[in-house]
Amino acid sequence: MTTTTSTGSPAPTAVRLARPPSLWARTNKATLVMAAVTLLVFVFFSVADADFLTFANVSNLATQVAPTLIVGVAMTFVITAGQIDLSVGSIVAFVSAVCAQLLLAGWDSSVVLLAGLLMGLGWGLVNGWFTAYQGIPAFIVTLASLSVVRGVALLRTEGFSVPIASTTFFARLGEARWLGFSLSAWIGLVVTALGLVLLHHTRFGQYVIGIGAAEESVRRAGVNVRLVKMAALGFSGLAAGVAGILIAARLGSGSANSAQGFELTVIAAVVLGGTSLLGGRGTIVGTLIGAILTGMIANGLTLMSVSPYLTPIITGAVLILVIWINLRGRGIGPLLRRITSRP
Amino acid sequence: MTDALLVELRGITKSFGPVRSLRGVDLTLRRGEVLGLVGDNGAGKSTLMKVLAGAVQHDDGEIRVRGRAVRFANPSDARAEKIGIVYQDLALCDTIDVAGNLFLGREPRRGPFIDRTTMHAEAARILAELDVKVASTHQEIGTLSGGQRQTVAIARAVSFAPDVLILDEPTAALAVAEVESVLRLIGEVAARGVGVILITHRLQDLFRVCHRITVMYEGTSVDDVPIGELDIERLVGLITRSEQREASA
Ligand SMILES: Nc1ncnc2c1ncn2[C@@H]1O[C@H](COP(=O)(O)OP(=O)(O)OP(=O)(O)O)[C@@H](O)[C@H]1O
Ligand SMILES: [Mg+2]
Repeated sequence: MTTTTSTGSPAPTAVRLARPPSLWARTNKATLVMAAVTLLVFVFFSVADADFLTFANVSNLATQVAPTLIVGVAMTFVITAGQIDLSVGSIVAFVSAVCAQLLLAGWDSSVVLLAGLLMGLGWGLVNGWFTAYQGIPAFIVTLASLSVVRGVALLRTEGFSVPIASTTFFARLGEARWLGFSLSAWIGLVVTALGLVLLHHTRFGQYVIGIGAAEESVRRAGVNVRLVKMAALGFSGLAAGVAGILIAARLGSGSANSAQGFELTVIAAVVLGGTSLLGGRGTIVGTLIGAILTGMIANGLTLMSVSPYLTPIITGAVLILVIWINLRGRGIGPLLRRITSRP
Repeated sequence: MTDALLVELRGITKSFGPVRSLRGVDLTLRRGEVLGLVGDNGAGKSTLMKVLAGAVQHDDGEIRVRGRAVRFANPSDARAEKIGIVYQDLALCDTIDVAGNLFLGREPRRGPFIDRTTMHAEAARILAELDVKVASTHQEIGTLSGGQRQTVAIARAVSFAPDVLILDEPTAALAVAEVESVLRLIGEVAARGVGVILITHRLQDLFRVCHRITVMYEGTSVDDVPIGELDIERLVGLITRSEQREASA
């Protein structure tokens, strides 16, 4: 701690200090384990079912994984910031149902698309405002909006599925393909790339990580932490809006009953990938792997003609297993404290 | 040291709900001056410094910096006035690396992206200059020792080139040699005209670097004495208020 260096010139020391660590040291080990598991599951299904490793099925798998991936990338920011968003499934259902209704009412597809995105973002910002500016824990806020958002959609549609005319541009989005992959899959890829850059290469990402580690330290560094937290939750709402549009376009209908339990699949994918539920550590690559793994399990089980009712059971079981692994050595106490007390 | 006041706090009060942490504190600091701020645990020293650093907003009273009345709505306002602080709890982020913590809130950018190469090179230069003993700027803060964390926090505050440097128990976790370095650093920055406020419970250190001592007691400033008029016993008496207690007994 002197301003004059005692031994040698400062340059070599500085160079040594700034030397980047090896690739191995930088790799998230939890993500690596999950990548290996994903590969094993992939090999297992490829051997167990001849239909699994076909281009048609892989392309289909990519389409199925896309909504989880898109919302998962945004959820990675939310969870890394030490927050949680339980309302994404409800927002997906809301956006898909309301978009279908608006199309039925004769709105133009482009306007409906914009409206869908804005609705998703709007719900996300409502969550974010209550969490960041009113100090209510995200767990509570999004648990409430999980109920409210789907409730509004149910009220509007009275629970009926709303058909989307296949002649609309909106519906054609669901069939659009490029190089054999659906629009959903491509959007999933783009969102992943954006998330990767945003989390690891921008100030916003750095503050998201910092807030998850020590919110007060980031605040004292002069950062508007409330805005960052609200933006993270707005981001997950927006992503849910995108997912809602893509799902409605693909299915050719919007339903307030769709995407039940979707939030659990998304959270499972994020945590599977190695993002810490305690906040402060997030990985987008991990979320990509986690989304593929959860999607692959569901897809493979369906191909093997296992009862579809088994999928939620397996997803839930995998989730608890992964959280257990995620928290091993850290204790469940800090997690509970964080979930129940953090605004 | 010059006579022009760098910082002037007058009648600062702050309550946290029913807890009246500050009940009217006065404090002055000149350029090139090292001011020792002492008082019992819970006297309100850290709270007062958080007010001066913009991390806590006071209820009443006046803050003047370079003669101008200011009001800090957040820490960046205070930073704009060139006030730097090492918090007692250091205010670091455990899962972010050394360079990221040094530049938290002011990361160098290229376009919209953090320029990590520059950030690490700059961080390494700062650490080498201050002879901070860490292995790499890529090391996560959470994996450092208590003393290393403290020196990183000090390096961060100093690297802002502040006009006012607040050190809230900066040597609590440091080994002998590192304490000496910090004391030397305080002398050096003060010689460059920086006003330093040092909070420490190591009274012997105060006598080595401070020009003046301000004593706080239960949320008020009770004494303001040039160091020349003090010895350890008198200082201990001022902190514990033993004379007053004897007088009132
Ligand atoms: N955020 C807060 N909420 C409630 N009370 C607080 C808060 N911050 C400080 N206090 C109270 O204010 C009083 C002064 O605290 P402060 O940390 O300023 O003391 P200090 O002089 O720095 O003590 P120490 O020497 O132990 O560091 C204490 O009684 C403390 O409990
Ligand atoms: Mg203190």
